[in-house]
Amino acid sequence: MDRFAKYLLTSLICVVAFGQFVQVITRYVLQIPVMGLEETMAYPTIWLYILGAVNASRENSHIRANVLEIFLKTPRQHTILAIVGETISLVVGLWLLSWAWDFTRYSWRVWRESPTLYIPTFYSDIALAIGITLMMIYTVVHFIQHLRDLKNGGVYHG
Amino acid sequence: MVEVTLLAVGVLVLFLTLGVPLPFCFGGALMVMYFVGDVIMKGNILWGFQQLGNPILLAIPLFVLAGTIMSESGIAASLLRFVNAFIGHVRGGLGVVAAVSCAVIGAISGSGLTGIAAIGPLLIPEMEKRGYPREYATALIANSSILGLLIPPSVTMIVYGWVTDTSILACFLATLGPGLLIMFNFSVVNLYMSRKFNLILDEKPTFTELTGEVTKRGIHAFPALLMPVIILGGIYGGIMTPTEAAAVAVIYAVPVGFFIYRGLRWDNFLSAGKEAATAVGAIMFMILFSMILSQMLVMESIPQQLVSSIFAITENKLVLLILINLMLFLVGMVVNDVTAIILIAPLLLPLMTAIGVSPIQFAAIMGVNTAMGGVTPPYASILYLGARIGNVKVTKVIKPAMILILTGYVPVVFLTSFWPDLSLYLPRLFGY
Repeated sequence: MDRFAKYLLTSLICVVAFGQFVQVITRYVLQIPVMGLEETMAYPTIWLYILGAVNASRENSHIRANVLEIFLKTPRQHTILAIVGETISLVVGLWLLSWAWDFTRYSWRVWRESPTLYIPTFYSDIALAIGITLMMIYTVVHFIQHLRDLKNGGVYHG
Repeated sequence: MVEVTLLAVGVLVLFLTLGVPLPFCFGGALMVMYFVGDVIMKGNILWGFQQLGNPILLAIPLFVLAGTIMSESGIAASLLRFVNAFIGHVRGGLGVVAAVSCAVIGAISGSGLTGIAAIGPLLIPEMEKRGYPREYATALIANSSILGLLIPPSVTMIVYGWVTDTSILACFLATLGPGLLIMFNFSVVNLYMSRKFNLILDEKPTFTELTGEVTKRGIHAFPALLMPVIILGGIYGGIMTPTEAAAVAVIYAVPVGFFIYRGLRWDNFLSAGKEAATAVGAIMFMILFSMILSQMLVMESIPQQLVSSIFAITENKLVLLILINLMLFLVGMVVNDVTAIILIAPLLLPLMTAIGVSPIQFAAIMGVNTAMGGVTPPYASILYLGARIGNVKVTKVIKPAMILILTGYVPVVFLTSFWPDLSLYLPRLFGY
């Protein structure tokens, strides 16, 4: 899975960087602006953001403040705190998912298209619902892992 | 509505304290606004998602990737060796090398993490070998790493310019003066502190040896030194936008890393790509929901209500600036820089303009305060990363870090607030 994530995410970020680079070359060096390049780049860009966030959920590396964690001493306390955090993430995440689904249905109904090349924006809009769904799946995986940790004496695995 | 906002902020702080991932902390605050305050979510999700596609924000992943490639490829190491050729032999010189190198790296990367990630593994062991305490070396490099957020280009200034509709190029210039001053402070403090350490020093080179070494290392570092020239020259020469300059930096760094410095290989290139994309994904997902929350507060006229409430207490500019700095410092202690800017900048900007502080100077005030937040616990991501890289306990790094913060940062925070020319001189010079 890690190998797949490496190839997918590196490809996406390289496509985005290369697209911008092509824009610089065509606009400033060749002085022939390529029509629709900017709007085309919006698709890999949005998927890069969302899949990057999904990978952060997979690796459990989302940005956190961890204020309380500093004051906790035992592994069991850390595990309990992680379970509380994951329960909150699940409740909030599922609520956000309902709105992302609502947004996806709206996008399907309206079927907006990009201004120059008429590419349906649905293909990037759907990234939000897919992304939050995958994040929730990984949150459940971490939640179960921490419950097992707690059952086995509270050894914290991060 | 003020009561609902306070409740939402309370939930946000509670979730932050419990260690909930930041996007879901903002989600929790949004739930309060929706269920208690009857604020509409539907249009806001659409608005927020459309904002993510903004080309300005695209500069963030590209600068993060440029920084990650620089750490892996040997570009940073060659810059470090070049700076070291000038002052490495002076007593305390290695500490100055750390501060200056982080500033040079800041002119390539837009992130505060690149300096410590790129310089830390090379310089911490070397400094320890030369007699610096390991925890001091770690604290110095972690603190200097923050210069990545103040020396342009800077991710936080891109976000500030975007949320407050201020020129990003002017914001970049606004933090340059304070950034250079912090670098100077760290160098001086380090030279003073070094007197206490039992350092092993190289023999002082003759002038011929010194010029020979500088030339040799300068030639080796030339492709690396060209990077800030391309980025800053491209942006301020009016040739490229920050996003385009970031893309050019990435495309330039890849062959330089693979074929000139040869530190970049297929495996670490893939890891760098994944690492940058994951970091960016985490930032952007958080930006999406923090931006929606910020938009809701603006739509409910909370900034205007905040201005009138604060003016009811005092209209004294001096007192207000001190209070705002204190608030930014506290916010920086619990949330990361980008979050602090998205939430606080739109709320406080009306107040700042009302007391005669320009949005460009406020960019610098926010920049130095949120940068300092990166090394002040409990949310001190850069200090924690430094402790991990330096292989020292966080508790041991905190004391030298605090000395550097008090002597290096705090005076600059006050100067930035009370001496507008420090942040406005350069933007004015460039016509902003």
